[in-house]
Amino acid sequence: MDDIDAMFSDLLGEMDLLTQSLGVETLPPEPPSSSSREMNFSMGFADMNVESLNELEENDLDALMADLMADLNDTEEKLAAELGGKKEAEAPHPDLPPASHGLSFYPVPSLSTPTSPERGPNTFSAPLADSPAPIHSPPTLPQHAKPSKEEIEAQMKADKIKLALEKLKEAKVKKLVVKVVMHDGSSKTLMVDERQTVRDVLDNLFEKTHCDCNVDWSLSETNPELQLERGFEDHENLVDPLSAWTRDSENKVIFQERPDKYEVFKNPQNFYLWKKDKKTIKDMKDRDKELLVEENFCGTSIIVPDLEGVLYLREDGKKSWKQRLFLLRASGIYYVPKGKSKTSRDLVCFVQFDNVNVYYGKEFKNKYKAPTDFCFVLKHPQIQKESQYIKYLCCDDAWTMNLWVTGIRIAKYGKSLYENYKTSMKKAAVTTAWTNRTAATAATTSIPSTPSPTTKAKASGQANGHAPQPPAEPVAKVGNAPPPPPPLLPTQILPPPPPDPVLPPPPPPLATKRSPPATSVSRQLPSLPTLPTSFPPSPTSMANLPPPPPSLSQDDSSESPPDFLPPPPPTLGFGPGAGSLPPPPPVSLPPPPPPDPGFPLPPPPPDPAFCPVTNRGSLPAPPPRQSYIGAGAPPPPPPPPPASAGLQSTPSVRRTGPPPPKRTTPPLAAPGGGDFMSELAKAMAKKRGNQ
Amino acid sequence: MAAWDLSVTVEELGPEAPPLKVSVTSDLHIGGVILKIVEKTQIKKDWSDHALWWEQKQQWLLRPSWTLEKYEIHADARLSLTPQHKPLRLGLPNGTTLRLQACFSRPVFQTVIGVCHLLNLRHPEELSLLRPMEVKKKKKDKEAEEEVVYDLTGLRTSSGPAHTLSNGMPMHFADSLQTEAVYKMLSVSLPAPAPETITKMPRPTSLMDKAQVHSRWLDSSRSLLQQGVQEHDRLLLRFKYYCFHDLDPKYDAVRLTQLYEQARWAILLEDVDCTEEEMMLFAALQYHIGKVSLSEPQPMTSCPAMDDLDSALQCLEVKMEAEESITADMLETMTVAPELQDYLKIFRPKRLTLKGYKQFWFAFNNTSISYYKSKEESLKEPIQQMNLKGCEVAPDVSVAGQKFCIRLLIPGAEGMNEVYLRCENELQYSRWMAACRLASKGKTLADSSFSSEVQNIQSFLAMQRTNPGANTAQTDDSINTYSLVSPRYHKKYKAKQLTPRILEAYQNVAQLPLTDALLRFLQIWQGLPDFGVSYFVVRFKGCRKDEVLGVTNNRLIRIDLSIGDVVKTWRYNTMRQWNVNWDIQQMAIEFNGNVNIAFSCVTATCKIVHEYIGGYIFMATRTKEQAEVLNQELFFKLTGGHEAI
Repeated sequence: MDDIDAMFSDLLGEMDLLTQSLGVETLPPEPPSSSSREMNFSMGFADMNVESLNELEENDLDALMADLMADLNDTEEKLAAELGGKKEAEAPHPDLPPASHGLSFYPVPSLSTPTSPERGPNTFSAPLADSPAPIHSPPTLPQHAKPSKEEIEAQMKADKIKLALEKLKEAKVKKLVVKVVMHDGSSKTLMVDERQTVRDVLDNLFEKTHCDCNVDWSLSETNPELQLERGFEDHENLVDPLSAWTRDSENKVIFQERPDKYEVFKNPQNFYLWKKDKKTIKDMKDRDKELLVEENFCGTSIIVPDLEGVLYLREDGKKSWKQRLFLLRASGIYYVPKGKSKTSRDLVCFVQFDNVNVYYGKEFKNKYKAPTDFCFVLKHPQIQKESQYIKYLCCDDAWTMNLWVTGIRIAKYGKSLYENYKTSMKKAAVTTAWTNRTAATAATTSIPSTPSPTTKAKASGQANGHAPQPPAEPVAKVGNAPPPPPPLLPTQILPPPPPDPVLPPPPPPLATKRSPPATSVSRQLPSLPTLPTSFPPSPTSMANLPPPPPSLSQDDSSESPPDFLPPPPPTLGFGPGAGSLPPPPPVSLPPPPPPDPGFPLPPPPPDPAFCPVTNRGSLPAPPPRQSYIGAGAPPPPPPPPPASAGLQSTPSVRRTGPPPPKRTTPPLAAPGGGDFMSELAKAMAKKRGNQ
Repeated sequence: MAAWDLSVTVEELGPEAPPLKVSVTSDLHIGGVILKIVEKTQIKKDWSDHALWWEQKQQWLLRPSWTLEKYEIHADARLSLTPQHKPLRLGLPNGTTLRLQACFSRPVFQTVIGVCHLLNLRHPEELSLLRPMEVKKKKKDKEAEEEVVYDLTGLRTSSGPAHTLSNGMPMHFADSLQTEAVYKMLSVSLPAPAPETITKMPRPTSLMDKAQVHSRWLDSSRSLLQQGVQEHDRLLLRFKYYCFHDLDPKYDAVRLTQLYEQARWAILLEDVDCTEEEMMLFAALQYHIGKVSLSEPQPMTSCPAMDDLDSALQCLEVKMEAEESITADMLETMTVAPELQDYLKIFRPKRLTLKGYKQFWFAFNNTSISYYKSKEESLKEPIQQMNLKGCEVAPDVSVAGQKFCIRLLIPGAEGMNEVYLRCENELQYSRWMAACRLASKGKTLADSSFSSEVQNIQSFLAMQRTNPGANTAQTDDSINTYSLVSPRYHKKYKAKQLTPRILEAYQNVAQLPLTDALLRFLQIWQGLPDFGVSYFVVRFKGCRKDEVLGVTNNRLIRIDLSIGDVVKTWRYNTMRQWNVNWDIQQMAIEFNGNVNIAFSCVTATCKIVHEYIGGYIFMATRTKEQAEVLNQELFFKLTGGHEAI
């Protein structure tokens, strides 16, 4: 530990030296705008502004230090482990050699090109190049058909090389020190290496901030000059977009909750059913929402919401905004040229998403005289200043804007978006469970290791969302039947009474009540519906369901009219067929009664199930719930009762195994840390040597 | 009980032979009847596949234990003893025709299952049989050049459900060389068709046309013979339900290929509308798939990343043993990429619009291009360095005009910089173009894909050389671009205009392995707004005019027939029940919230529409877990129905 402290202070000293030399050598003195310094993130260590480093608050330094330390420890441990694994004593694998090799050119380019505006990419592309390099010359293994001992040695050698390769790669990983502005205006400084995704950084921040870890937390970048803002997606590498910032950029990275981030998974109907009336959307059941997500994100291809609408487009180089009819497709945004139809063939491509990101525009009414403030922008991430290559669009209201921005994100990121969501749900669930647990133990209340009942309920709903229990699907998909209330079950399944005389003409309301006996009856009368020929066709009756003549239902006669009401056949002939209930095939049907003489039908491949279906005539199925229960026992997939209960607060909780202990180090930064320090040290040494 | 004579036609006795008379009593069961007939024919053969067909009633008598009385067969009945399996000509999605034995006695659903089992297509429930379109008779004589028919009538599936695969192919195909060839045809996509073929095929021009197609589906719950299909008739096997369950390239070679073929033809014949950009991407993918399936014998490849690592390691090892000096050299080999340097001409439209191209010495380094006044000055500071990472690369090429330009749109903080690079010849162009493309994706010349990228570009350029007018079949690396796009673009663009556009789209897909490319094609197809909608012309209750009902895997769409606008959609999961009144051919559907609709069907029969909706609901009941087992009973329950005949 002392070593490290010493090293760090040493480091700071070196940094001073380094910057001085830098200033002398190449740098035109940077405008000392304090604001820019404040929000500055630094590119690599060579660019690190020492002043700003000094200005960092105490706790920032501590945090940074902790990171570095953890990195060091980690590397050391790893190394020790690796060394332990090797038997050869002669293989001295100090961590320095590879690191120094990486370093030997690492700082050089960064020093030599600091003036170039595209410093980031230029500087660091060289190190990146190395990994694929060796591939081009195909290998021929030299004399390897030798005794096993040599093979073992060869294997070891290969391992060593692998290790060395990994180290080399690590040594060249680009790292940034990033200042993240928190939601309360304070800031934290993090070290981020180029392999870390936004997700990793978020996890890191969760640990540092002890926030509630819900899925809305996100990192965003703001561009004050263009008045833009964009939430990073969790799978992006954070370093990439930051590398596009210019040297004097006032851009910031912000850590905040963004409800729009995963809104599409919480309320998919707002995006996929936006054309429907508001009430339908509002009353959407949780199960249906899950279904929508499943439909659009879990198939072989991602379905992009079919958006279309009139938006304002800022004409290139002009100050006017012009209305156009835009359509969103998976392949890009299109518009309808004047006087053309909306058919695909006439559409003109406005933009494709390969090379652009979508940003929210802030206060464009003032800045660009936009019709409203609800604007979004499409541009290449590298573009940081006003340019004709930025496309500005303006919507009538916030809702429309949100619709479009989310739609574009779906089209651009596709499946990753959903994967991200699932990951953050897991993360949120684990953390919540952990908090619950600690809270529980701390308060010494009852629940020791399981979450509270409410949590549990939520969890089950959540689980449903993630790995939808298969059985639940079919039912809901079709009939939208809510799972049966358990108490009803026994009564309904039990009575398979004989076709009962009471059956006859139940008026519609009654019919539902009677459906238990009805179902059972229907099983006995499978052939009942087989004679539609004689149905008096009466469309109206189909809708109105007048009560049928009582006698008909019993004597299994061939004259059952289409409007004949009794619930029995429903389950049988119509119930399942009638569309409300795919899953409950009355598999257990007793064989049909002897064929109805004079009626030819039952076709050869004669299973009992076949004929009943034939007539889905005009019989009203009983309400789905009922019939489901009636026939519910035999079908393969009965929905789990909890399904309906737990769906509501999906986002918050998910129980997945025991919560891991809290980590204090960023997982990815860790291994690189040691190299990083040594690199730095070497760089200093070299610099001094040069002077 | 009194005996009476039953007359039975037996095919084996010849078409002219009079019906056999057998003396039966009403309580004789069908099995006994067959036995009697067989004895009477005195023909010795395997009769086990034969069954009785009752002509007047259009009905099979398949229950041997049922008595004549039970079937209500009297002396006036005309029966015939005929095989249940008969040869059928089957048109596949890829346009070829197979002759195979199909079951004529069981419901079509089961016939399809049998056929799919034979062809190694999983999830047969998604497919069904379609009657081919009536061919106009006037051309009959010219069309004497019958399409090639692959004969599979001798093929029998192994009875066990376990499909033993040797070399990715089901056992029963491995019998002979011919069948192996047929399997290859089934599982590898066919070369692009000649443009004339596409132009000649009928294309739907209106919603009405698209609706007509769906009137030709066979009824899944009745047998082929019941629906008037005769021996040797031609039927089309098509994917009917557009939800492809559990598509797994490992097991689904044939399914994937046929699905791709169906999708390809849907695109080429404008069955599904798409935009120009999408068409170009489809074309690029078709080109790529065609090329890769020629060169790649087996789609199975191991993980490339692992290979890379292995080869990298081995290569390193070789180096190390040779030179002993370890890390320094290693670094050298890893960082030094192959160099690309040459004199090229550059043009920046923005700055000096009048000046045109100027020559400089160019050097490619990592993902950047630097240029110098001359080769000699290349050690000094470059005039400019351009980092191509994230830039847009587009070809601007005309082989005929010997113009080989690369258009670069390089992003910078200020916006995009437009730059043209002009190369002298094809070779130079393809190398620089490949380098630019890799650089735009952040890769360097050292990347393993560089040489293949160069080749790709060269072979694509070769396309431009082929004369678009010549009716040449696709050869190894030349292909007619008109074969890749729908006829609308034949009129809109000349071939040489089309090539660069396809090439532009091609650069994004050129590195995909075969299966990925196939899947990508399907994904884009599935992403089209009009994908998977089956149209029917219907008349809603209370409306005077015809409208269109679109049926998809999750919703019903009401569409205005004349304009094509969506009027309303209803999702299945809000559906409570549906009913069919067969007499007036009307369907009534009730949705949640007391929404009721009713319509009668105009273009197709009610049964087809009903089966489509029921079928989709059936598809939705499938789950990943309950693999393999097909719940046929449920299918019939949902799609069956009574035909009021």
